[in-house]
Amino acid sequence: MRTKQSDTVAAYLFLLPFLTLLGIFFVYAAARAVYFSFTDYDLFRPPNWVGLRNYVALFSDALFLSALRNSILFAVIVTAVQTFLALVMAAVLNQRVRGIGFFRAAFYMPSITSSVVITLIFLWMFQRRGLINYLNESFQRAAPVLLTFLLLVVALQVAQVVWERRRQLPAAWTDPALLVVSLLVAAGATWALVTTGVISPRDVAPVDFIWLQTRETIPAGAPFWLAVPIPLAAIMIQNVFTTIPTFMLMYLAALQDVPKSYYEAASIDGANATQQFFRITIPSVAPVTFLVLTLSMIGTLQMFDQVAIFGDAAPLRSVVTLAYFVYNRMFPGAQTPEVGFAAAGAMFLAVLTLVVVLLQRLLVRSEGR
Amino acid sequence: MPADATRLGAAEQLALERWQARRRWARAGLVYAVMLFFAIVFVGPLLFATVSSLRTDPLAYPPSLAIPQLRPSNWAAAARLGQAGAGDRWFGGFAPGAVVPFEIGYFVPDGVDMADPHVEVPRRRPGAGLGAVLAIDYAADYAVVSELQRLPDLAMVMAAGDQEIVGRRVAFAFTIHYEGDGPQIDRLPLDVTTDVGVQYLDSTLTASRLERRGRTASFNDVAPGVLGYVLRNYVRVFNEVRSPTTRQSLFLAWIGNSFTFAAVRIVVTLVIASMAGYALARLRFRGRELIFILVLFSQMVPLQVLFISNYLVLRDGIVTLGGFTLSSLWGYPGGMLNSLTGLVFVTALNAGAVFIMKQFFESIPREVEEAAMIDGASHWRRYWSVVLPMARPALGALTILTFQGAWNDFFWPFIVLTSPETVKTLPIGLLSFRNTYGAVGDWGLILAGAVMSAIPVIVLFVVFQRYFLEGVSFGGGKE
Repeated sequence: MRTKQSDTVAAYLFLLPFLTLLGIFFVYAAARAVYFSFTDYDLFRPPNWVGLRNYVALFSDALFLSALRNSILFAVIVTAVQTFLALVMAAVLNQRVRGIGFFRAAFYMPSITSSVVITLIFLWMFQRRGLINYLNESFQRAAPVLLTFLLLVVALQVAQVVWERRRQLPAAWTDPALLVVSLLVAAGATWALVTTGVISPRDVAPVDFIWLQTRETIPAGAPFWLAVPIPLAAIMIQNVFTTIPTFMLMYLAALQDVPKSYYEAASIDGANATQQFFRITIPSVAPVTFLVLTLSMIGTLQMFDQVAIFGDAAPLRSVVTLAYFVYNRMFPGAQTPEVGFAAAGAMFLAVLTLVVVLLQRLLVRSEGR
Repeated sequence: MPADATRLGAAEQLALERWQARRRWARAGLVYAVMLFFAIVFVGPLLFATVSSLRTDPLAYPPSLAIPQLRPSNWAAAARLGQAGAGDRWFGGFAPGAVVPFEIGYFVPDGVDMADPHVEVPRRRPGAGLGAVLAIDYAADYAVVSELQRLPDLAMVMAAGDQEIVGRRVAFAFTIHYEGDGPQIDRLPLDVTTDVGVQYLDSTLTASRLERRGRTASFNDVAPGVLGYVLRNYVRVFNEVRSPTTRQSLFLAWIGNSFTFAAVRIVVTLVIASMAGYALARLRFRGRELIFILVLFSQMVPLQVLFISNYLVLRDGIVTLGGFTLSSLWGYPGGMLNSLTGLVFVTALNAGAVFIMKQFFESIPREVEEAAMIDGASHWRRYWSVVLPMARPALGALTILTFQGAWNDFFWPFIVLTSPETVKTLPIGLLSFRNTYGAVGDWGLILAGAVMSAIPVIVLFVVFQRYFLEGVSFGGGKE
C-alpha cells in the first residue's frame, strides 16, 4: 500500500498522545540519562561535563562491585535453577488429564500477587523463628522415618519389577502401577514401624539459622566473586518459587505440541524415560527454552523490588543489585545525591541487558539455520 | 495346532492389554498426586500466611495451623462475650452497664494449695504503631472485677513427658462490670496472675499469651465478638493505623488510592493504546518503522535508566518555561511528585498495551472497514464506530491486565509517592507497615494487610483466568 498524505496526517493525530509520552518519558529520559552519566550532576548544582570519570569510578566503588557481583550471581543461579526445574516439572505434568485447569490456576497464584505481598510473606517465613527454619528442623527430626520409607519404596519396587520381568512382562523400573503398590505398602510399613517404636524421629537441636541480618555467605569464606550472601540466597529462593509456575506453564504449552508418536517410537527402540527427556523433550522445546532464558535473565538482572522491600531487614551490601544501586545513589538518604554516578550505573545495567537480548537473538538465528 | 496357538496368543494379548491399562490408570493417579503436591507447594505460603494472619502473634513458635482463632468453641464464646460487653456479637466492645462473665481453670498438682488468682484489667496501649500514639479511652478506668467464686474442684491427671502428675482442676468464675457512665470502649484486656506451681488450663476464651513464665494468662480482649476475635489483626489494620494529623485510617486511604490509580490508568491505557494501535495496524505513513524500533527498544531499556529523568520531569512539573509550569494547568504548580496525577503520567507510557491492540486490529479483516470507507467516513469514524466496537474482547483483556499491573505496581509508586502517608498506594503503604511494625515484630498487622491487598487481584484472576493465562503468551509474562 502506498503512503498517502492524508493517512500520514491521520496517523500522527492518532499517535499524538502515545508519541508525546514516548518522547518525554522514553526518548528524552534515555538521552538525559546518557548525558548525566558524563556529568557530576547532584540535583542542586548545574551539571559539569566530566567525561568517563563516573564509569571509571564505578569499578573502584565497593557498593557497585557488590551490586555487580550480586546481580550476576543472582541472574545466573536463579535462571539456571528455575529454567531447569520448570522444564522438569512440565515434563512430569505433561499428561492430558481432566481438571488441569484447576491446577494451572493454583500454580499461577504466586505470579499474580504483587511482589510486595509475596516478599512480605517470605520475609515473615525467613525470620529466625519462622516457617523455613521450622520446616528444616522438622525435616531433620523426621529424617530416619523418611529414609526408611524411601528405602522400603526402592526395595519393594525392585522386588516387584524383578518378579514381573520373570513373568515375561515388560515392566520398566519406574512402572507406575507397581510404584503405586510400593508407595502404599511402604507407607503402611513405615507407619507400623513408627507406632511400634522400632523407628522414631531423631532429637535435633532447634534450627536457628539466620537468613536476614547476616553478612555470612554461601559457601562461607568463598572468594568475593563467588560468594552468595545468605540474604541474597533468601531472595533467590523466593524468586525461583514465584517464577517457576509461569515458565512451567510456558513449557507445558510447548510440550503439548510435541507429537506423542516421538515418544512411542523411542520407547519401541528401547529408550528409557531419562533418555527420552534428553533426546526428545529438551530438543523439541528449545525455542521456548531460549525465550525462558532471556525473560529470566532480563527479569533477574533488573531485580529491584525485593531489595527495596527487604530494606533494613538485611545488610545493604548483602542484597544490593545493580538496579537498586542506581536508586541508592540517586536517593542516598542523608548524603548528596550522585546523579551522574547513578546514571553511569544505569547505563551499565542497560548495556548488560542489551547484550543478553542480542546474544539470544544471535543464538536463535544460528539455531534457525 | 496353529488354531490353538492363535487362541493362546489372543488370551495373552488380552492379558497384556489389561496390564497396560492398569499402568495408564496408575500413571494418571500419580500425576494427580504430583500436581496436588505442586499446588500445595505454590499456594501453601499464601494459605499459611492467611491462616497465620489470624494468630495473635504470627511469629509464635512453632508455626501451626491448629490455632485458637479457628476453634468453634472460641467463636461461640467470643460472640457471647461480645454480646455481654456491648450487645454486639460481631465486633464486641465494653459499654456502660455491661456485665461480662468469665471463667478460668488451672491444673493444681496434689500437695499444692492454690490461693485465689489476681484478676486485673490492665491499662495497655493497643499495638506499637501510630495507633498507640492516639489518645484512647482505657477500659481499666471503668471496669470493676467482682469477687472471685471458686468452682468445685475436679480430679484429673496431667501428662508431663513420660510421667503423669496427679492433681485437680481448680476453676474460678467472676464478672467484669462497667461501673457508672462513660464512653463505649473498643477493647477489654484482662490479666489473671497466679502463684507458682499451678498451670493455666483453660478459660472461657483461650488466653492470647502466657507471661511471666506462665503465671499470667493475658487476654487482649475478653469481649471481642466473633469478628473482633477471629479477624482481630484485620480490624486493627483499619483502626490502629491512622494518620497522626488527620486521624484518617491509612489503610482505607491506600485502598482508595490504589483503586483510583488503577481506574484512571485503565482509561488512559485503553484510549492511548487503542488509538496508537489502530494507526500502527491500519495506516501506512512515513516514520512508521522508526516508531516500531522505538517501541521495541523502550521495552528493553531498564526502568532505572529512565527514572532519573522522569523523576526530575515530575518534580519540575513536566516543563518549566520562563516561570510557567505546565503541570499548573491541572492544578500542580509545585510539580507532580507525591500525587496520583503524577503517577498516572509517568506510568501512562505502555508500549506492551499498544502492541496488544495493534496485534488485535490486524486480526480484524479489512473488509469490515471498506463499507465505511466507500461512504467516505473519516479515519476517526472508522476507528470509533466500526473497529473499536469490534475490539471489545481485546479491550476487556487489556482492562484486566492493566488493573493487575496498576494494583501490583511497585517501582513507580515507590519513587513518586513518598509522603505524606495518605498519598501512597497499597503496595507502598504495606512497605511502610513493614518498616513501622516489622522492627517490633508485630507481624499480625503486616500479614493481615498483605492478605487483604492480595484479594482483589486473586478474585479477578479466579473470574477471568483465561485472560491472565493468555497474557503469558502475549507479553511473555512480563508487563
